[in-house]
Amino acid sequence: MRNSVRSHRDPGRVKISLQGVGRVFAPTSKRSSSVVALKGVNGEVFEEEIVGLLGPSGCGKTTLLNLIAGFDRQDEGEIIVAGKKVERPGPDRMVVFQFPALFAWLTVWENVVFGPKERRENAKDYEPRARSLLDSVGLKGREHDYPYQLSGGMKQRVQLARALLNQPEVLLMDEPFGALDSQTRSQMQELLHNVWSLYHPTILLVTHDAEEALYLCHRIYVMDCHGGIRETIHVPFPFPRKFDLIGSTDFAHLKYTLLSALRTEEERPDCHRQVGEKTQEGEAK
Amino acid sequence: MPKYSLNENFGQFWVRKEGMNYLDTAEGNYILFTLTKEGGPTKAPANPLGEENLRSAGKIHYPWVVSGQASFSFLSWLTVAAILLLWYLVTARGWVSAFVLPSPANLWSEFQVLVVKGYAGKTLAEHILASLFRTFTGLGLGIAIGVPLGLLMGSSRIAYAILGPIFSFLRPIPPIAFIPLMILYFGIGEFSKVALIFLAALYYVVLNSSAGVRTVPQDLVRAGMNLGLSRTKLFAKVIFRAALPHIMTGIKTATAISWAIVVAAELIAAQAGLGFMVMDATTFFRVPNVYIGIIIIGLIGVTLEAITVAIDRKLLHWMGR
Repeated sequence: MRNSVRSHRDPGRVKISLQGVGRVFAPTSKRSSSVVALKGVNGEVFEEEIVGLLGPSGCGKTTLLNLIAGFDRQDEGEIIVAGKKVERPGPDRMVVFQFPALFAWLTVWENVVFGPKERRENAKDYEPRARSLLDSVGLKGREHDYPYQLSGGMKQRVQLARALLNQPEVLLMDEPFGALDSQTRSQMQELLHNVWSLYHPTILLVTHDAEEALYLCHRIYVMDCHGGIRETIHVPFPFPRKFDLIGSTDFAHLKYTLLSALRTEEERPDCHRQVGEKTQEGEAK
Repeated sequence: MPKYSLNENFGQFWVRKEGMNYLDTAEGNYILFTLTKEGGPTKAPANPLGEENLRSAGKIHYPWVVSGQASFSFLSWLTVAAILLLWYLVTARGWVSAFVLPSPANLWSEFQVLVVKGYAGKTLAEHILASLFRTFTGLGLGIAIGVPLGLLMGSSRIAYAILGPIFSFLRPIPPIAFIPLMILYFGIGEFSKVALIFLAALYYVVLNSSAGVRTVPQDLVRAGMNLGLSRTKLFAKVIFRAALPHIMTGIKTATAISWAIVVAAELIAAQAGLGFMVMDATTFFRVPNVYIGIIIIGLIGVTLEAITVAIDRKLLHWMGR
């Protein structure tokens, strides 16, 4: 089992490249003004790396993730994933949504294989992989259940398996454990580490939880409140990380650094936030 | 000591009720456990979410809340029996004139006569089939055209802008208000009744289908796009399926309304049908036939409802209701 990033910062193995990305939202009514959601964002995610995108709420984290996923178009700059410009959504960039976007009328198994099946890929290829994925996220035996029969954590496991079956270049996770209770969240964080050590996916993880970012990521981009990147934190703790890590002095120290950076951003008087960005996401159009 | 006490304990509620203690789980079940000290459990069950714990505790029962599927139970049959008994008593004791309310026995013998002789030159079955035929033709056309139209209105802003005003205008008008116009346009034949039912069914199916499409969660559509679905597949395999509960609500409502409207339309102008029979029998003071007609209309309405509910449960079993 490899536990370090093989290609760490090897320029030949950039999976996501963000080059001066900017996004401005047009005013929603005559009275409001346009909102700069992202401004001059530069950054990259290397192969097999887990990178956190941490920032105060409304700083444009989800906006950036939506741009990479292809759900939205940037106004400036370029987004390149695995050598290709992002133009539309596609299975090379799988999203794990905060509120599990499972197809309620399909069983766990049908949900997981939905993508490859509808793209008419070879069942002999994806079915064995789906079985081992379901096994590794701990859903063996629940294949025939419907989403309404699953708990929140279980639904996220299905989403994770569904995303990974498509063998994406990058996995985009939008606060995937944000809606779970604290015990389930910590179980899911451990599960994500296990899954990573098995399949080594490249992950961009949006979170507002400093502890989660430190525990899960190799590197963290801390965003400022103007839609830019404030600083990059290299998380020094080796993999595999154990739960004990979060009790260590080094961890506490880093967490303090991160939290005070976040607090500084949140308290800046010139801060303009896109209030309500998150709540609108999970809701109806 | 209070009868109930709640302590918040790591985000879960421990509920105490006179020595009975429950752990509220996410699934809405309650797990029984023993409480030895005030303030929280000292000994958690070995396998708290285990099947046997769930079964032993069951759910807390609130007698004033209908939990799970409401069903036609013993009490419902008791209601039916009570009404029949009251009817019998009222007529047998002569509290109400036999002309206004015939006795159950009288009605039953009149019913047998009706079955044998028919009414106004047509058998009872022909009257029933006439009403059913009108209903199903109008309803079927309404669904066949209404569902695609509603899906179009839900997914296209342009279609919604064009067709929206028509349906907004129709909203406050009861469908039976169109009966005179239908007779004026199409006479008193089959077509006017079928057209009326078609219009009413169309209205309910279109509105619910378009609402269904418009309320599909954005993330679900995005998940479909993310998996690389084409536009047609996205519509057929995600949007349509997600809108199906709304579409079925529209179809259920349309079915109930159609049956009510066919009777109303037949009351005003028809040569056959249950509504015609009721109206005609009233004119000629054949009161038992009025009652028989009304009872048959009610029974068929209940049956139609049961059929649509059964289809709904079959199609939407995944909602876990």
